[in-house]
Amino acid sequence: MATATVVAAGTKARTEQGSGIRPSGWIGFLFIAPNLLGVLAFTLIPLISVVVLAFTDWNLVSGLGGITFNGIDNFVAIARDPGFWHAIGLTLVYVVVSVPLTVVLGLALGIALNRPLPGRAVLRAIFFLPYIVNVVAIGMTWLMLMNPKAGLVNQVLDAFGIQPGWFASSHWALPALIVMAVWGGVGYCSLIYLSALQDAPRQLYEAADIDGASAWSKFRVITWPSLLPTTIFLLVTLIIGASQGFGLIALITAGGPGDATTTISYYMYQTGFQFYRFGYASAIGLVTFVGVLVLTLVTWRAQRGRALNDQ
Amino acid sequence: MRRKGFSRREVLAGVGAGLAAAVVPGCSGGDSGRSGALQVWGGVPAASGPADVVKAFQAKFPQYKVNYTRFVNDDRGNLKLDTALQGGVDIDVYFTYSQGAMALRAGSGLAADLTDRVKADPDLQVFLDTEQPRSYIDNGKVTALATAREPFFVLFNEKLRQQAGVELPQAWTIDEFRATARKLTTDTTVGTYTLPDVARIALGPNYWYDGNRSNFGDPHFEQGFRVGREMIAEGTAFPWTEVLSRHLDAYQQNSFLGEEFHLWSTAPFNLRYLYDAKKYPHDFKVAFAPSPTVDGQNWNGGSFSNFIMVNPKSPKLEAAWAFVKFWLTEGATPMLKGGKMPALGNVTDEQIVSGMLGKEPEKYFDLDSFRRVVLAADPKLATDTRLTGFPEISLAVKQQRDLCWLGEKDPGVAIREVRRLADAAIARNERRP
Repeated sequence: MATATVVAAGTKARTEQGSGIRPSGWIGFLFIAPNLLGVLAFTLIPLISVVVLAFTDWNLVSGLGGITFNGIDNFVAIARDPGFWHAIGLTLVYVVVSVPLTVVLGLALGIALNRPLPGRAVLRAIFFLPYIVNVVAIGMTWLMLMNPKAGLVNQVLDAFGIQPGWFASSHWALPALIVMAVWGGVGYCSLIYLSALQDAPRQLYEAADIDGASAWSKFRVITWPSLLPTTIFLLVTLIIGASQGFGLIALITAGGPGDATTTISYYMYQTGFQFYRFGYASAIGLVTFVGVLVLTLVTWRAQRGRALNDQ
Repeated sequence: MRRKGFSRREVLAGVGAGLAAAVVPGCSGGDSGRSGALQVWGGVPAASGPADVVKAFQAKFPQYKVNYTRFVNDDRGNLKLDTALQGGVDIDVYFTYSQGAMALRAGSGLAADLTDRVKADPDLQVFLDTEQPRSYIDNGKVTALATAREPFFVLFNEKLRQQAGVELPQAWTIDEFRATARKLTTDTTVGTYTLPDVARIALGPNYWYDGNRSNFGDPHFEQGFRVGREMIAEGTAFPWTEVLSRHLDAYQQNSFLGEEFHLWSTAPFNLRYLYDAKKYPHDFKVAFAPSPTVDGQNWNGGSFSNFIMVNPKSPKLEAAWAFVKFWLTEGATPMLKGGKMPALGNVTDEQIVSGMLGKEPEKYFDLDSFRRVVLAADPKLATDTRLTGFPEISLAVKQQRDLCWLGEKDPGVAIREVRRLADAAIARNERRP
């Protein structure tokens, strides 16, 4: 009864004011205004600016008066730019290798940490630690670990007769970054999987146990479908994150040796902030945005109807 | 009927207006909010000299107050300066360190035309010289003036040199440099960090350009890549894998002080690491040799640098010019402690020795060779004035040099790739309005 009264009162208020906001409503807007201002200033306005600048030739230093609209010239130039396609290729390799590896290892770790283990809480914290450590500390640590001559990694690999050049080799620099990305992301994935595993339907496992199902069958038929929404969430966020990967590259390799680690976000940074070609960099940003959006939608659609709840 | 609330549109419009009100004044080019003090932005920390320059200026001109702001001289720091200049932040005088940034700022109306002031001042006539330019002249207008002279020289670790029984050269060629590095290489010390820039010594200023194309077809570029690679391969130059994996390019001094390598081709700004044994412990003296010559050519790899510029929007142009002139003609002595020798050379030898070599110069430096190489010599400094596509070409040279010196790319192939990229960068930049 009380609910019905509140609903009726609310309907009456809306009817009186048409599409307007109740006096108490704009107070709500005032509460979110600081955040709204932040979103406007640091997200929406830059986003719109990038879209506009993508159709210009602008070097920033010449000021707003120096903006010259050049139609689709930037996009034509992108299509013919070998540096852009090289960066796209590297980014795809980086995403296609690092994301599935992170998810698979995160899943394995999540399942392992879901079992009763001595010191499980401590182990969870340890594995999650790389996700919250500052990127500079991560970069400097790995730089030392992967020093081709004196680094611990190569001292271990030396026993197997392998001596990768890591960041001092155009062949090994990208794999080194992938190793770091996987190491940094596995703990995060495992934690997300852990929470999903704890929500998995117990009764289905009990029924499977009664039916004498094997561990693999239980994983395939119950665990995996129940984890699919989580997996898609992780895939989408990791794909977006990996496509934007910049911090470690800027810190450790600056896109090198040569252009061996010039992924698309670093290429965009070089174009904008080193060459001051802000119009062209914005066009690269726009094209990349569309690419990542398509990749995300494809990933999203691929899981529809396959999750446990959808079946 | 009077409305009781605001529509969503009105609230959003209000928020937008508030945002605009907050943002627009920051973008204003007007003088509102400008302080009374002269605002100077530079990349050198105030304690390394600028604070003393400012103090001396204020003592001489008590009518002016100066506020020095330090920006970090890297990509982000320069971007901060550029956006501040463009956004109307209160800046009257600023410094530019990279050639690429200078061309961009001068070409975009961010530098006042100083030509008449320079022409009118007998002390500053040298800034009109175009043979060994100390200024940046853009379409006949002087827009930037060098405050520092940074000649390159080769430093020797005296302890290791004497152990090896090598003569300190007073004049030498690049081949002799290579032979000396070989003699100085031991089990624990590499002969040299790297090779001086062969093409720069042979070709001088604007060596990347030839008409409306790049000049990387000149054989000295390939020679530099090839000799550098050979020296690394034979162990007489520092292994490039170590340089990249330890980011040594920015920390060469640590390896020199740690006696990991011997010969160090460098400039005065690195001398500050050599006279402070508490902060940078070492137990050896350093001697100076001139840069080697290439095919009889003796351009020095160093240049006139640290360009001072005046913001054309400054409402205090007279005060700004007074400060610029003071820095150039009489105020730059405190900058010696950071290794900045005044571009006009208007300091005594003793001021340079005590300013650049610390409190105990005899303890850490061979003063005879310092006087001979740095004070008495008049090296031909190569200051670039042609800067089309400069950042792109710099990156191409660095990328291909790295691949070549890692042993992954043949020097000829690497130089041809630099040439292709440089030609494209020049063509693209010359097409721009």
